[in-house]
Amino acid sequence: MTAVVTGAKPGTDSVLKARLVWAKDNVKVLVGQLLILAAFLVAWQQLPQIPFFSSRFHFLDPYFVSSPTAIASRLVDVLTGRNGSFTVWSYVQPTLLASLVGLVVGMVLGGVMGLVLSNSPFASALLRPFIVLLNAVPRIALIPIVIIAFGASLGAEIVISVLIVFFVVFWNAYEGGQSVPLRMSQNAQLLGAKKRQITWRIMAPYVLAWTLASLPNAVTFALLSVVTSEVLTGNNGLGFLITQSLSTADATLTFTTAVLLAIIGLIVVMAAEAGRKRVLHWWHPSR
Amino acid sequence: MTAPNANLVGADADVGTTDPDEATPAIVEFRDVDFRYDSGLLALDGVDLRVEPGRNVAITGPSGCGKSTLLRLAAGLTTPTRGMLARGPVPEGAHPLSMMFQEDTLLPWLTVAGNIALHFKFRRRPKSYVRDLIGELLPLVGLQDFENAYPYQLSIGMRRRVAFLSAIAPRPQLLLLDEPFSALDEPTRVALHQDVLRVTQELGTTLVLVTHDIAEAVSLSDEVLVLSKRPGRVAGRHLMTFGKERDVLGMRESEDFLHLYGEVWSDLRRQIRGEES
Repeated sequence: MTAVVTGAKPGTDSVLKARLVWAKDNVKVLVGQLLILAAFLVAWQQLPQIPFFSSRFHFLDPYFVSSPTAIASRLVDVLTGRNGSFTVWSYVQPTLLASLVGLVVGMVLGGVMGLVLSNSPFASALLRPFIVLLNAVPRIALIPIVIIAFGASLGAEIVISVLIVFFVVFWNAYEGGQSVPLRMSQNAQLLGAKKRQITWRIMAPYVLAWTLASLPNAVTFALLSVVTSEVLTGNNGLGFLITQSLSTADATLTFTTAVLLAIIGLIVVMAAEAGRKRVLHWWHPSR
Repeated sequence: MTAPNANLVGADADVGTTDPDEATPAIVEFRDVDFRYDSGLLALDGVDLRVEPGRNVAITGPSGCGKSTLLRLAAGLTTPTRGMLARGPVPEGAHPLSMMFQEDTLLPWLTVAGNIALHFKFRRRPKSYVRDLIGELLPLVGLQDFENAYPYQLSIGMRRRVAFLSAIAPRPQLLLLDEPFSALDEPTRVALHQDVLRVTQELGTTLVLVTHDIAEAVSLSDEVLVLSKRPGRVAGRHLMTFGKERDVLGMRESEDFLHLYGEVWSDLRRQIRGEES
């Protein structure tokens, strides 16, 4: 435990004690989490080596579940081209491109639509039923329709991720616009704001904050939709790599691709969150 | 609703011409005003109220008596369902009214300066003019070092000061205050009373204050109105006799203050009793 005691003044004993307890609890949690992870990885690595298990259970056969060390080693192979392996970058590029374009366009459209509908009772009444209807359709069912309409192209993948991201973002943005306290717009009105100024100077920043709050979800959905359409179309990308590894029964590669997707998702979310914190430093929803 | 003078509902008549007997035209005048919610609930019942330039009015009454509704009517955020609400002439180029709400209205993404400049942004006034004005306003309430601070970095008391400056920056003829200091502790509140009184007198802004705090009503106003329980009627009027120059902190110890406080309180107590019986 690393509780640094600095400048402890008389009468701060209880504060210090509380901090120590807090640090202790945190260390406990962290150690517990590492133990769970280690136990999982050891079980994954070792159990399939024991014939008693691997012969009885499919999911403990190394042929099907691979192993953590094999996956880690393969990950380095495909990232660097080591051991004469192909590299993964030509697969990452189209997936990332379609996801990011879909993410940005879907978020902009969702945010703008959320602002317009939350700002206009007429537009809201007019369009809401259609949006509810579209939203009720399982998103995955839309993918083949778009593929038929746009062909098995990168364009189709972008359209799909725009569609899916749009709905994730729109509801949040709409709710954000609805949540602006009435007194905020009334105060602006009494200070001489015109209706258009209330929309842009009062409503829009709230909608922006709520739009960006849906960012982590939107990233997940963007990647999911692109990979799914790659699996369906056979277009070049990480989804195609999954199909490939499946058809060659290469479990290690399937897992490696999944790990790669997780890493990409994490990086995009972290970068986006860092940007969001800068733009929305004033945003404290609890207040 | 079959009101005899329903044709005058919400009319913006010139008080100076409709009532030639009055020496000074009122800024805003309620004549026999009713307000009924869409639900049919009657909130205000035949309210008469005259706000003259330089005469601050405080309104108090039991909870739910329609005080805030009265203020929203004065602000023009809603219109009477019966009776007449008249507004006096607003000098050319002057700002008619601002309001300080009970809850925070600061925009969290704007700095202190940005919030105070809101009116001028809406009106597209030149930046240099606004910057100079803000430089003059901030020291009035001791915020000179906080120009670039964001609301989340300020205490509640400071946020209220910013909201006050934002409301008075356009030099409104009328400032409506809806329990604006109820979230503050007593010393902070009284200090702010003094600032509000001094600054609004300097700018020639008249106050209409809605409050539960009788000491606040007595300190800031020239006349205190006590409303009855719902539907709110004007049940009592009390003239405050402290004049313009007031020491808000010191006056609380004076006989006059205690006497007027007691007078308003006993009136209010009767109205609350009426509610219970």
